[in-house]
Amino acid sequence: MRTGVYLCRCGTNITERIDFERLTEELSKQAGVAYVKPVDFLCAEDGKQFLETDLGEERPERVVIAACSPREYERAFMQVLERSGMNPYFLQIANIREQVAWVTPEVEQATSKACAQIRGAAARVALHEPLFKTELAVCRDVVVIGAGPAGLKCALTLAEAGRKVVLVEKSPVLGGLPVRYEDLFPNMECAPCMIEPVQAEVLHGPHSANIEILTLAEVSGLKGYYGNFQVTIRQTPRYVDAEQCIGCGECITPCPVSVSNQFNFGLDSRKAIAVPFLGALPNAPFLDAAACLRGKGEECTLCRDACPVENVVRYDEAERTIERSAGAIVVAVGFGLYDCRSLPELGYGVVPGVYTSLEFERILASNGPTGGELKQPEGAAPQSVAIIHCAGSLDQQHRPYCSGICCDYAFKFNHLIEKKLPGTKVHHFYKELVMPGKEEFSLYQDARENPHAAFLRYVSGGVRVTGSEGGAAVEYRDSAGNQGRIVADMVVLCPAVTGAPGGVALSRILGASRDRFGFFEELHGRMDSAQSRIKGIYLAGACQAPMDIQRAVNQGMAAAGYVLSGLAEGRKLEIEPITASVDETRCSVCRTCGSVCPYQAISYPPESRGASVNALLCHGCGTCVAACPCGAIRGNHFTNEQILAEIEAVLA
Amino acid sequence: MIQIQTHPETQRVADSFEPKIVGFLCNWCSYAGADKAGGAQLSYPPNIRIIRVMCSGRVDAQHILQAYRNGADGVLILACHAGDCHYQEGNYRATERHRMLLRLLSQFGIEEARCRFDYVSAGEGEKFVRVVSETVEAVRALGPLTRPSASGG
Repeated sequence: MRTGVYLCRCGTNITERIDFERLTEELSKQAGVAYVKPVDFLCAEDGKQFLETDLGEERPERVVIAACSPREYERAFMQVLERSGMNPYFLQIANIREQVAWVTPEVEQATSKACAQIRGAAARVALHEPLFKTELAVCRDVVVIGAGPAGLKCALTLAEAGRKVVLVEKSPVLGGLPVRYEDLFPNMECAPCMIEPVQAEVLHGPHSANIEILTLAEVSGLKGYYGNFQVTIRQTPRYVDAEQCIGCGECITPCPVSVSNQFNFGLDSRKAIAVPFLGALPNAPFLDAAACLRGKGEECTLCRDACPVENVVRYDEAERTIERSAGAIVVAVGFGLYDCRSLPELGYGVVPGVYTSLEFERILASNGPTGGELKQPEGAAPQSVAIIHCAGSLDQQHRPYCSGICCDYAFKFNHLIEKKLPGTKVHHFYKELVMPGKEEFSLYQDARENPHAAFLRYVSGGVRVTGSEGGAAVEYRDSAGNQGRIVADMVVLCPAVTGAPGGVALSRILGASRDRFGFFEELHGRMDSAQSRIKGIYLAGACQAPMDIQRAVNQGMAAAGYVLSGLAEGRKLEIEPITASVDETRCSVCRTCGSVCPYQAISYPPESRGASVNALLCHGCGTCVAACPCGAIRGNHFTNEQILAEIEAVLA
Repeated sequence: MIQIQTHPETQRVADSFEPKIVGFLCNWCSYAGADKAGGAQLSYPPNIRIIRVMCSGRVDAQHILQAYRNGADGVLILACHAGDCHYQEGNYRATERHRMLLRLLSQFGIEEARCRFDYVSAGEGEKFVRVVSETVEAVRALGPLTRPSASGG
């Protein structure tokens, strides 16, 4: 093996501490070292040019560069090797600047240490194998799951870039939860007014042809991997042709069935054929087969008879299983609220007049169960409202985190209560007040200036809601230990934001993990919060963490960005060769490797005799290599032979 | 299997003894932490020989045993802090393996201080220097690791 060694002087940065003459002399004795050449600045354009030319003339089989950290210029030097016709992986860097010259004052010691590190590099590089990036043809279409603000903006952005998007929404309506609110913090913008233009773009905009919208649909299966997923989607029939429907609502009136309306969280009832709420898009009713008399064997056709358009109500529609190819998947399935029944002291579901914040949003909404009148669905207007912030939040027994949006909407409630029923007493019970952001303070200030608002700080367990003659009674012990009691006609709970309902099942189908709180787990909390741990599966919105609409939409856009750069037009997917590979003849299929792989890159295909590593999913960490009890897994570029040779040589 | 014992008369040579330490550093945190120490020109004992691995989870017991066999008096395994692993949980695997290896090493009479596991982040140049210095001193105090011949016992 002919190995060429280049020593970078780095000006005097390295030579000040390392004796290049002695180094050259010692290294020249090493078996396999064909030559040792000092260079002034190898990283400079001149230096790289020299290297390229010299490699062409010397034609070494392997190269060691002793210079600064490989974290600085390894990639650049690999490109030089490539340009000179060598395999770029025939290079090993010995870090003699950051890890020797700069940290070892004595020349004698520094030179010895440098010599050892370079010997290690030379011994290792002799065992390097040629490695090649491989390319894979990919599907550039995208499946977006969830049509809330994050999913809608993501789908729209991708469609505008010319990508085909399949937008899978489990409810009959687009817009997610915010479309059901009347106004939004921080500036009381009308929620439907904000989301409807986006929905309109998705449904009828110039790029809408790129978006296939599947409502009442859920992802039920997934095969394949980044670049080539096969997604199975199960769609429940709507029994109404949304394309042909004119949205007149004639079909709804004659329906004789009345069931609890889940779109208003059970605060009122709806017909078996219904629109979720006024203004819902797509503007077409859906027929709830579970509630419809036809499902019970009765031959009712009242809705179809009332429909003025031929063949729009279709009783013969059946559940569909839809298969779609996609290169990437975006999970934007939103959030849930902590189940307030787990906080029995707050009286939810037991004491009349206690609502969750989502229920209260609907009570405030003009298309909600009270038509926007602030009153109990079956009662009178309140004279006092207690808003209990931090319900289940900042509580080690329930959810230790702050959801970060509740104070904002609680002060929005304060504003709306005072606007709708001036003079109504509003009691804010809070553990902490949190409303970061450049606009968010204004609603808080507004609440502080409301002469009818009171603020009380409590600690976990310090608030108890019980039934009372005059409504609900809130007994409290404030943070200073003072006890008191107020009576409120309505109590609004602001529960901790949790992972999406249905997140468990979806996580299982996708293989994308959830964190200890039930949110989809990001690749990195700050740098890659819109990526799951599975390549090609991205996260957008509150399914990843509690967040407001601004952040959710930004994440939707970020996910679109990942897709557009990762599955770029006119480019194949490049697979890095530093991955693990399995020697099937030595594999005992004990599945240890699969259990330690954080990326689900290892599978055990029945047609194979052993474990199989998907090079696309593998990140090359080598954990499986170290874990394999049979020594059947090889870590490319970090093989045992290479590491052991390096250990031996640095100690020689 | 290699068999290694600590020399009974180690204290006598401790003063003139320069231990050899092999440090396995993960690419993303600890290796960068070592670079950080370099960038800050913090000096530390030259006794360490650094082996870069992509993840501390790649470090295998046989690498550590090989280091002892080839003359190392001590081994350092440095990883990302808990929760910071570039590969999610490789550092956790590494701690598990380290704990297991310590039990094995004790059966060969190799002291725990000769096989140290610690966490050094990319920003912790000073901690890297401290950990290396402490390890060198601890191993120096223990004296050289003596290796009976392969047939001996």
